[in-house]
Formats: sequence, structure tokens, C-alpha cells
Amino acid sequence: METVAKTNKGKRSFVARKEYWYQSTKVLYSASAIILIILPMFVGNYTLHILTLTLIFAVLALSWNLVAGYSGIFSFGHHAFFGIGAYVSALLSIKYGLSPWFGLIIGGGIAAISGIVISLPVLGLRAAPYIAILTLGFAEIVKLIVSNLVGLTRGELGLSGIEPFTSIGSISFNLAHRLNSYYLILAVMCLVVFVILKVISGPRGLALKSIRESQDAAESLGVNLRKSKLYVFMLSAFIAGVAGSFYAHYVQVLTPSSVLGVDIMMQILVITVIGGLGTIYGPIIGSFIVVMGLEYLRFLGDDRLMIYGVVLVLVIIFMPEGIIKKVFRKAK
Amino acid sequence: MDVTIVLQQIINGVIVGSIYALMASGLSLIWGTMKTLNFAHGEFYMLGGFFMFILNVQAGLNPILAGAISILFIFVVGVIMQRLVIHYLMDKPGWDVSPLIATFGVSIFLQNLSLKLWGERFKNIPYYLGGEASFFGINLSYHRILILIIAVVVIFTLWAFLKYSRFGMALRATSQDRDAATINGINTKKMFMITFGISAILATAAAIMLSPIYSVNPWMGESLLLKALAVIVIGGLGSLVGAIIAGVGLGVLEGVGILFFPSEWQNVIAFSILIIVLWIRPSGLFGTKEW
Repeated sequence: METVAKTNKGKRSFVARKEYWYQSTKVLYSASAIILIILPMFVGNYTLHILTLTLIFAVLALSWNLVAGYSGIFSFGHHAFFGIGAYVSALLSIKYGLSPWFGLIIGGGIAAISGIVISLPVLGLRAAPYIAILTLGFAEIVKLIVSNLVGLTRGELGLSGIEPFTSIGSISFNLAHRLNSYYLILAVMCLVVFVILKVISGPRGLALKSIRESQDAAESLGVNLRKSKLYVFMLSAFIAGVAGSFYAHYVQVLTPSSVLGVDIMMQILVITVIGGLGTIYGPIIGSFIVVMGLEYLRFLGDDRLMIYGVVLVLVIIFMPEGIIKKVFRKAK
Repeated sequence: MDVTIVLQQIINGVIVGSIYALMASGLSLIWGTMKTLNFAHGEFYMLGGFFMFILNVQAGLNPILAGAISILFIFVVGVIMQRLVIHYLMDKPGWDVSPLIATFGVSIFLQNLSLKLWGERFKNIPYYLGGEASFFGINLSYHRILILIIAVVVIFTLWAFLKYSRFGMALRATSQDRDAATINGINTKKMFMITFGISAILATAAAIMLSPIYSVNPWMGESLLLKALAVIVIGGLGSLVGAIIAGVGLGVLEGVGILFFPSEWQNVIAFSILIIVLWIRPSGLFGTKEW
């Protein structure tokens, strides 16, 4: 009887480990390369625009995933960094004529500094709800400051006519050449994925994951909680800031509610949760599902956002590990 | 500065603060029993406002009857939400975050549902009591006085209910130790559902009283939810007294603050206080325990 049970058990784990052809990494990589690099050459301007937005949100969700998915610190104010990056870069280019390429770095840098500032009170907190409220309050402050400083930001009227990225040689990034912008954000995303892979596979990544599993255990094993949390906040805020400033120079119009509204946070959350928290490909796939889904379901009107809410609830109840772990069991 | 103006603002602040306290006590109740937050609490407030508008203005019922029926409806909504969403998340891994995300989803759903059902036009409910009282140079509409009275009565009733009623004792037992409560014959699942219902009632009581002053619209819950969240954290999660003191304190601070700062900076001050309090005292001003 016991042996039967054992073999059954063995069988089950064998079945679970069985790999389908589409689950091998080679197929996965080449497929995504084809989809991301080659396919966009053959699509129209509208689709290209959606694809670019998708990748911007993928970068943003990747950065949030670094804090929430890998370190277990659920910040609900991540859109603040996106907005800070966008506004800093846009204002520098409008007021001082700074090149958007520098804006990308400075926007990220300022976002990183504000990430450090907000992580200071977060360091003392352990319970998720406290952190959620604190970061939500922080983002609200940033939004109010941006919309109240009418002299600088024109408030809710917003900034318009923001310079696109200056062309390199003959490669132009204005709205007539959307493909170039698309490849630029693709390159940014690949860089971000590379950096995140490097970080999480290194000692710092192990420290972060141990914080996620148990803060006390991590601390007792000599993980410096303060340092690790500061580091992860800074890095993820920097990436979010870069995504924001790319968004500013790509869309060329900014209003406080378009980049600093709670709906941006909602989008980040939905993308990451649907794709899979704590995975690399989750936020990217989630972004494709959510951004494109929302765009192509526009004909549903108001129902679209209702469905959005229901989907979020259903995913949390039935598939909390996200799509990526459901389909590709081997995915990290 | 004129003393009466300051006094007027302090009284206005106490009135608004009592509503903050009412909203916050609902959140606090849920935290106390389930150790989680409800990001859809603002939508209970919003739905309450719409129920009141439909019953009082469109159906022409008198305010007391309309309010009573709204409260009955919202209780059912709260119970259903707990049973359909929160119930399935309890005792599962990730419980500390999953309800936050799920209630966020519920909030989007309810906002857009009411947008679809009732449109985006702002709706107004007339004052339940007209007229104005005037004493020592301070003017107060009877409606505002009524707000304060109702808020105090509702919060006091809640306190007495939790403290002395059989159900309240069962509720407190559940929040202290769920297993022990179950052994003693308390149906904890039912408790959780009813807790959500009561919490929704508290939000609706706030909506019924505030709707004549502000208008009814699908987004009305958002800003008040943020305020209520700030209040329960400043007061200390799970502390009813803390929520009341922090709520009234914040209301007064905002009321007096208007004399010194432009009103659009009001919320910046509120959230800055939140961050500073959490930084210095992570358990909140009156919280006994850091969660």
C-alpha cells in the first residue's frame, strides 16, 4: 500500500515537471525576440503607439515588482516616481532647454532621491497596510504639489509641446518616427531586465528575497534591513523615473492626473498581479495583456473599467501567483 | 485676527472631523476584527450617497425613512462584498496584501458601476433642516449641528453596541482569538460578514449627513477614503478612541489651517502629518501595538 502511494506521488511530481515544447527557454526567448523586434516593423502607427505604451508600463511594472514582488514591500505610491521623472524632465527641457537625453537620467535621479526620502519612514514599518497608506499619502502629496504650483507646472492645464528626444544622426524620435521611439523603449526595457536579473541573482537579491520571506529571520542572519530596503527603493524609483521621463518626451503632453493619478498605480498593480509578482517576465506579459486589452476593448466604453475591477478581484482570488507561473512552471 | 472667525473655524472643523471619525471608525472596526484595510470603504460612502439621493430626492421619501432604507441596503452590500471577495482570501497565503488589492478592484468596479447606472452629473440633496443658528457672532446652519449630533450618536451607539451587546462581545471575542471564539460557539464567518455590513453602515451614515453639503457623484468616496485612512493611522490602527480624537483633531487643524494656507494645500498638510506621525511613532498616536 505504501509503495503504491509512493509511486503515485512520484508519478505526480513527474507529470508536474513535464515540459511542453512551448515551455523551453529557447522557444520562449526566440518567440519573444520575434514578437518584440520584428513584428513592430509591419504594424501601423496606432498599434505602434499602443506597443510603446505597453513597454513603458512594462518598465514601470518591472520597477514596482522589484519592491513589491522581490522584497515584499507593497508600496502603493509608485506612480509618484513616474510622475516626478516625467515632470522633472519635461520642465528642465521646457524651462532650460536641457536635452531630453540628460532629462532621462536627471528625472530618474530626482525620482531616486525622492525614493530614498520616502523609504526613510517606511524603514520603521513592517505591516503592509501601514506601508500602503504611507506611500499612498506620499503620492497624493506629490500630486497636489504638482497641481498646486500653477506658476511652474500650469496645474491641471498641464504641460504641452514637450520636446521629443533629440535625434541621433539621422535617427529621429518625433511622432512621425514612432518605430524609433519603440526601439528606444525596448532597449531601455532590456537594460532594465538585465539590471534586475543582475541584482536579484546577486547577494543583494538574496537579501531582498529573505526580507520578503521573513524580516526577523533575515535580520538574524545578518542582512542589513535598512540598507537593503533603501537600496531597492532607490533603484526602483530610479527606473520608474526613467519610465516617466520617457513617457513625457514620447507623449509630449503632461497633466497631473495623467501621470500622478491613482489609476496609474492601479494599472501597475493590475499588470504585475496578473502577470505574476516576483517574476521577470510577469510584468512584461501582464503589461501586454492589460494595456492592449484596455486599448482594444475601448468599444465597451464604461463597462471596460468595470470588467477591469472584476478581473483584478478574480485574479487575486483564483490565480494569486499570476499567469506566468500558471503557464510556464519553470519561470522564476 | 478676529477671535470669532477662529472660533467659527474650530467649530466647523469639529463638525467635519466628526465625519472623518465616523468614516475612520468603520475602517478601524474592520482592522480590529480582520486585520486588514478596505480600500472600497469610500465606495460604501458613495453608494450611500446615491441611495439617499434616489430615495429622498427621486422617490420623495422623507429623510429619516430614506436614510433608514439606505442603511439597510448598504448593510446588504457590505455583507455581500465580504462573502464574495474577502471570504475567499481569508486564511490563505498573502492575506496581508491580497485584500488590499482585491478591495482596490472592488472600488474600481463600484465606481464605474455607479458611473454607468447614474451618470457623471453631480447630484444635489436639499438640506434636511433649513435655517441657521447664531450665537456669540458665530453662524451655524442647523444642518451642520445635526451632522455633529448624528455623528456623536452613531459613534456612541457603536461603542455601546460593541461593549455591552451580546453580539458586540462575540465580535470582540472573534477579534481577540478566533479559535477560542469558535470553540465558544461563535460563528466567526457570520461575524466577519456582519462586521463588513456595520462598517458600511458607518460610511453611509457619513454620506447621508454630508451629501447635502457636497454633491453626490461616483468619485465622492476617493478623497474621503484617503482622509479616513490617514485618520486611522494617525490615531493608531484598531483604536476607536484614537480614530475619534485623530478625526476631530484633523478636522480642526484643517479648519484653522484654512485661515493661514490656501485651501488647495489642505490635503498636503493632512498627509504630511500622516507621514511625520508614522515616522516618529509607527504605532500611531494612540495605538498600543505596532502591527
